[in-house]
Amino acid sequence: MNVSYSWLRSMVPGLEASPEEIAEHLATRGAPVETMESVGAGLEDVVVARVKSVRRHPNADRLSLCEVDNGGEVLQVVCGAPVIAEGGYYPFAGVGVTLPDGFKLKKAKIRGEYSNGMLCSERELGLGRDQAGIMRLSDDSTTGQPLVEVLGLDDVRMDVEVTPNRGDWLSHLGLAREVAPDGVGGVVLPPIPGAPTVDIEVRSDEREVTHGEVSICVEEPDLCWRFLGVIIRGVTVGPSPEWLTARLRSVGQQSINNVVDATNYVMLEMGNPMHAYDLRRLQESRLVVRKAQDGETMQTLDGLDHEFDSEMLLICDASVPHDIAGTMGGKHSSVTEDTVDVLLECALFDPKSIRSTRRALGISTDASYRFERGVDPEGHLPAVRRALEIILAAAGGEIDGPILEVLPRPWQTSSLVLRTSRVAQVLGVSFGREEIDSLIGPLGFTLGKGTQKETGEEIEVEVPGYRSYDVTREIDLIEEIARTYGYDRFPEELGPFRPTTVPDHPVFQLEDRLRAVLTQEGLLEATNPAFAPEYEGNVEINNPISMEERYLRASLLPDLLRNVEYNLARGSRDVRLFEIGTVFQGGDVGEPPSEDLHVAVAVTGRQHPSHWSEEGASVDFWDLRRILDSALAASGWSEVSVSTEAEGDNLFEPSLSVSVVLADGVRMGSAGRVVSHRIDTPAWAGDLWGLELRLPADPPAETTPTFRPLPQFPGVDRDLALIVPPDVAAAAVIEKIQETGGDLLDDVTIFDLYRGKGVGDGDRSLAFRLRFQAWDRTLTDKQIDRVVGKLLKTLQEDLGVRQRL
Amino acid sequence: MNQQMSLTEVLQDLESEALSAIGASLDADGLETIRISYLGRKDGRISQILRKLGEIDENERRPVGAEANRVKGLIRDALEARLVHFESDGSGASSGDDLTLPGRRRWIGGSHPVTQVVDEIWQIFRSMGFVRARGPEADTEWYNFVALNTPLDHPAADEQDTLYLKDSVLLRSHTSPVQVRTMEKHEPPIRILAPGMVYRRDTYDATHTPAFAQIEGLVVDEGVSFVDFKATLAEFARRFWGPGTKVRFRPSYFPFTEPSAEVDVKRMITRKDGTRVESDWIEIMGAGMVDPNVLENVGYDAERYTGFAFGMGPARIALLKYGVPDLRLFFQNDVRFLSQFTHGPDQ
Repeated sequence: MNVSYSWLRSMVPGLEASPEEIAEHLATRGAPVETMESVGAGLEDVVVARVKSVRRHPNADRLSLCEVDNGGEVLQVVCGAPVIAEGGYYPFAGVGVTLPDGFKLKKAKIRGEYSNGMLCSERELGLGRDQAGIMRLSDDSTTGQPLVEVLGLDDVRMDVEVTPNRGDWLSHLGLAREVAPDGVGGVVLPPIPGAPTVDIEVRSDEREVTHGEVSICVEEPDLCWRFLGVIIRGVTVGPSPEWLTARLRSVGQQSINNVVDATNYVMLEMGNPMHAYDLRRLQESRLVVRKAQDGETMQTLDGLDHEFDSEMLLICDASVPHDIAGTMGGKHSSVTEDTVDVLLECALFDPKSIRSTRRALGISTDASYRFERGVDPEGHLPAVRRALEIILAAAGGEIDGPILEVLPRPWQTSSLVLRTSRVAQVLGVSFGREEIDSLIGPLGFTLGKGTQKETGEEIEVEVPGYRSYDVTREIDLIEEIARTYGYDRFPEELGPFRPTTVPDHPVFQLEDRLRAVLTQEGLLEATNPAFAPEYEGNVEINNPISMEERYLRASLLPDLLRNVEYNLARGSRDVRLFEIGTVFQGGDVGEPPSEDLHVAVAVTGRQHPSHWSEEGASVDFWDLRRILDSALAASGWSEVSVSTEAEGDNLFEPSLSVSVVLADGVRMGSAGRVVSHRIDTPAWAGDLWGLELRLPADPPAETTPTFRPLPQFPGVDRDLALIVPPDVAAAAVIEKIQETGGDLLDDVTIFDLYRGKGVGDGDRSLAFRLRFQAWDRTLTDKQIDRVVGKLLKTLQEDLGVRQRL
Repeated sequence: MNQQMSLTEVLQDLESEALSAIGASLDADGLETIRISYLGRKDGRISQILRKLGEIDENERRPVGAEANRVKGLIRDALEARLVHFESDGSGASSGDDLTLPGRRRWIGGSHPVTQVVDEIWQIFRSMGFVRARGPEADTEWYNFVALNTPLDHPAADEQDTLYLKDSVLLRSHTSPVQVRTMEKHEPPIRILAPGMVYRRDTYDATHTPAFAQIEGLVVDEGVSFVDFKATLAEFARRFWGPGTKVRFRPSYFPFTEPSAEVDVKRMITRKDGTRVESDWIEIMGAGMVDPNVLENVGYDAERYTGFAFGMGPARIALLKYGVPDLRLFFQNDVRFLSQFTHGPDQ
């Protein structure tokens, strides 16, 4: 909401605060000022000049030579405008002045004649669109006076951020109530220059009112709660007086004509949107507030055509629409220079209806913005009177008849009960009736006497109409107390608290563990938004940001591979990334999709950073395998196994990938070398290795290690060379040894793999080192021999694995 | 030789004796002496045992032979390793090397800078008795709006342009649904922090991304007041932003809190010349007392329980903390960027 500092001050007599002080005050009240700018910025050196004489340029038909009095000296200026009036006053930029568009004036010779500056158009001054003619100022101007003074540009425009609950702040009046030191009592409407006193009756009815041939009817009392109309005949539509244009300009609005400007002025000042119709364009001089018929159409003021459905509220004449209720008027009946008789509207609509209509039509206007957020239900009569004053002063004409009011839903003042005990409970500070009155009274709240109850006082509080949208409950009043008292005045003492009954979520603990082990592996954490193209997800977004982001990802690796590509393309050879993130699947109608937390890793490049002492190898499968094992250990899954049965996700080379399988046979992850056609890599890039695992939704909570006494007796190592046939997995051999080894077997390591001479074709010789350990005695060879013997027997019988001697 | 010891035991004694001699040897000549004394073809003590194998009982021959071979191999490996050590070939340092050369390096990993900020924030709240809670990223209008006192036909629902899946299912536009989900499952006292990803229909620019991390906080119990609210968040802000930080609470509006506040900080910055200056006010979170309607929506007695809630954007905080100029850098996953936030020697 753009606010003019001088407009605001004109409504609060005696207000001395600077724009900065007002901004500071509004911030502490909840309406921060986002930007502040000088309205006439860049025009400080432009002055008023009087044209003493005009003659044709001797060497150019289209140019004229003016003698210009700038208040100090008389200068010759070459001018290209068609009409310059002798004796007229114009904005003048002398030599050395820089205009808002950055153009710096120099003394120039134009077709042989000197020009010492420029008479400016609105456009050149950045004030308007009119570039045809030089901007003529009023004849009672003073030469040499700064233009910003004459045009009321010595003002500050403040952009106030208004939260959606405070429709009442979308006007100068609303903000004046907040900044006036004495509150609402200290706020006035500044006098309109040349305005007559408007003393006019109101003729009111529930459904329809008429005056002469003019009639107004509300057919939708649930959507239109109040509708005021007034007839002004014989207006002269034309440019607005300078003060009116200046006010609009000060908040960044363009002047349109004196009637339309009057309605806009009142909306900006008092917050009530209005609309003016050309009465002669209304069939049967009638206005009907009704719902649209399906397919009905209208062209709005901005020249766009709209088609309506039967849920939309329109203002129509006897047959066709002329206004989208509370949103935008129609072109056909808009007020133009041909307009003689005007019908002025000021109404109150159901905010929800306005909102749904304007959303369906995809438009938002100053009016709809205000109606959606709540317009003062008591502000209509003052607003209409104000608009009439301006129209009569600026466009002339006469009021015909009374104000015609249809009032299906008369306004009822609401009152709330405020308990001082509740105030203290919520705010932690006690407030008495007097103090509360001094805080919120100035904002227009009326406090009743108050009754003493056991727990404290109960006060009846009457809510002013303009706050009836956001103050509907006791808690809303409590917020008003805190706000006006000042948040910064509340103490900041940390009190005791009770421990919560909620446990720390184990998935966060799982994430912590995973991050710890993966960063230990020298991996950097990546994050990618969960959006994916169609072939990488099956949960569709209804209103996506782009086609590439139309789905939610079903796995993490595709993004991570793109991250690797991105890095390789920037010359980084060693890319080691992991991501922990949510993936999405399925979901029935009306049900959210299922979500799983995944972890993924992508690595390429050298095993270690280069060192002068060694050649340096590239990352290989066994590095990936170590990362996989670390991740699995931290993952919280129990009883997982790694199998070489690769299942088709086509991401990994089948011969260089493994699957990770849960005890129930469900596959929850895979790891391997990424097939080369999956990513676009430079020729120098190394192999790319990746893995992705689904993480448990309900992992075990962090466990505390329990101490086991250190062994008092020496352990014994036994080395076994085992011949393993081709169809037996090493993992199976290890598992079998662990199963059969019993309590005495403490550790199993494979320290050598051999193929070739002395070992059958296709067979492998795996060298195991088994560590045996008893906590209560020294193991004898015999005891170990017994275990090893049993072990060898089982291996032979179950897997066909035998000892190599 | 002690007759009571079995040959296996003798071999094991020889093993440890030889290994300690190798460890204690000082040069290649010493190693050669050791080699001859244990493995020498003629008089080596292991060689002697191997030669005698034929004389011993047939039952014992095989195990003793295996043990002797094992010990022999072990000693040979140890001798070789020690010799490599003496005759350093460049793979390990020895006297004469330039010891100012850099040492071996390893890859230094690290969590994402935004994760690091989330962690830092979590550690502060953890010390104030908070636990972590989570909820789904795809949720319903009920949890994202309605239960949080935000009617769908109110302009407040516009403030966050929401990404919808189908029907009333959406991608949560804030972490606040976790408030409702947690209260539905648990009774007060509630004291939770809920970090997570949220989604909005924003296009990418320096200060917006359509997905971003948010951290929600919620405290509900008897006797929790605006004073506790201010104290807790001011304490957090001063701990996070450092001593000398000023904290300001400004009235604001959120449908699910009342009174509502924006929290701003003004921190002390050290300039290049070492002087300390105050920054501008920086908005760091939206917060407020939990609206009674929210408590009632989860079946709490809003007359008995009060509370406060807050939400902040760790990516925005990371931006300020690390001086990162553009939020998009957090999603590019450029390793040259990510490794700036690791802790370890440069690579």
